[in-house]
Amino acid sequence: MSNAYVTDFRVPSTTESTALLNEDWLAVILGLFIFVLGLAALVHVDLIGWVVSTSVWSNFSQALGPASKGYAALGGIGALLATYVALTVVLTASAAALKSDVKRFALAFTAVFWIAYASWIVGNYAQFAAVTPAEQQKFGISWSLKLTNEGAYIFALISGLIIANFLPRFAAAIKDAVRPELYIKVAIVILGGFFAVTAAGKLSLASSLILRGVAAIVEAYLIYWAVVYFIARKWFGFSREWAAPLASGISICGVSAAIATGGAIRSRPVVPVLVSSLVVVFAVVEVLILPFVAQTWLSHEPLVAGAWMGLAVKTDGAAVAAGGITESLILAKNAAEGVHYQPGWILGTAATIKVFIDIFIGIWAFVLGYIWTNHVNVTPDSNKAKLKEIWQRFPKFIIGFVVTFIVGLYLALGTPADVAKNVPAAIGEANTFRVIFFILTFFSIGVLSNFRALWREGFGKLAAVYVVSLFGFVVWVGLLISWIFFHGITPPLAS
Amino acid sequence: MYDYQELIMSQYTQSDLREELRTAPVEPLLPVEKKLIAWSLSLGLTLLVVLAAINHFFPVAL
Repeated sequence: MSNAYVTDFRVPSTTESTALLNEDWLAVILGLFIFVLGLAALVHVDLIGWVVSTSVWSNFSQALGPASKGYAALGGIGALLATYVALTVVLTASAAALKSDVKRFALAFTAVFWIAYASWIVGNYAQFAAVTPAEQQKFGISWSLKLTNEGAYIFALISGLIIANFLPRFAAAIKDAVRPELYIKVAIVILGGFFAVTAAGKLSLASSLILRGVAAIVEAYLIYWAVVYFIARKWFGFSREWAAPLASGISICGVSAAIATGGAIRSRPVVPVLVSSLVVVFAVVEVLILPFVAQTWLSHEPLVAGAWMGLAVKTDGAAVAAGGITESLILAKNAAEGVHYQPGWILGTAATIKVFIDIFIGIWAFVLGYIWTNHVNVTPDSNKAKLKEIWQRFPKFIIGFVVTFIVGLYLALGTPADVAKNVPAAIGEANTFRVIFFILTFFSIGVLSNFRALWREGFGKLAAVYVVSLFGFVVWVGLLISWIFFHGITPPLAS
Repeated sequence: MYDYQELIMSQYTQSDLREELRTAPVEPLLPVEKKLIAWSLSLGLTLLVVLAAINHFFPVAL
């Protein structure tokens, strides 16, 4: 049986399960490591200014460059090579900590990095990415697709999809480095600091937005879950063992929630594995559609659009990355109309919503586990749900996000002016890595989305529940709730 | 390296799972499931109304 489509998330391998670290903690360490290196700039030591940054280009020589002028001598290609070497070393060491095959990981990561970054560079070509007439004039072109530079994530996703669906052997060969969950968790940890700098400029607005994130928790766990579970059980006749992970996968946070629920209700491991495959495939469909829908109809309600991405798009990677694309598309559309919003608010709203939802996965899994082991499939005491499972299932990368957010906020607001003024630039360098981890996430999600294999396996009934629930209910209720709580709120204008 | 998910999947054949999903007997909703659904929805809708009211009376500080 082909398993190409079920390699979409990192249930720990047999060797990894004996490793000292798990992927969650590893993401916290990597994210904090990059964040701290970036902060060295505050004491005038530029440790990561060599990281490659890509600009919209019409002449390839304009495309690449180091993030910091201090490393200008490296040139674009030098910065790209330095970034590749650094990431390969750090991530291969991480693979070793997870007791993965180091050599296979390094080779696979080489392919993943170069294909993903090449796709990103192509997506930044002016005729794809230039947005405003001024930009078109600057690049000497008369038209462009106006996808913006962050629209280039779609190019990385499509490269991955092509590999998954037309080059399945190659997809299998690079699977060791196809780790969207790891990449997005590292990105989210770094994002905490970036969001803090953004929030520091308008703290009252930021705290209001965070409070509104509570509505997302209520919606995902209490409304979505109950409705999807009912649909799966009553309309589609699924057993409890299939319906509960399916409801969690569609309602809460995709892969993590399906796995947590499967463990909590003591289902066979195959059940969350298959549900997670579906989650990733449909997340790809959402990422390809929803940001453009948001740009078309919600460009004047930017934060509704951000919250909607956080609520409607499943899996952390796809949701936060969809927030990034949506931000880029909406800012570009507003810029074309002469309104220049500060960047970071739409992405920050999407990420905050997603993080708020993630926090409760462990608690919800415990609630389900308690009900299942005591009332549905009554099990011996030794196998009943235990309180310590809440912590075991808590997504640890959230701790990293909170730490970088608090540190970033303190540095921006609590330090002397001569230090505080350098904080955005310091965190900006770390944020360049966040963009690279986003690119790796998009590419990886694509590689894991083998539509043909899924179709071949014949799990149409599972997919039907997903389609009915997601596009008939989750997406639209998410939009309604986002509208109720976020309409009329706009990001501050860029100074 | 033999991935955990491959190990899991290797225990099931394609026809096993397809057949299981096709022929699984319908399990009627237990009272505890009905309670879970009803309580979730009731609590969720109530909390959303409360939050919407808070949102209305304490608008975002711009």
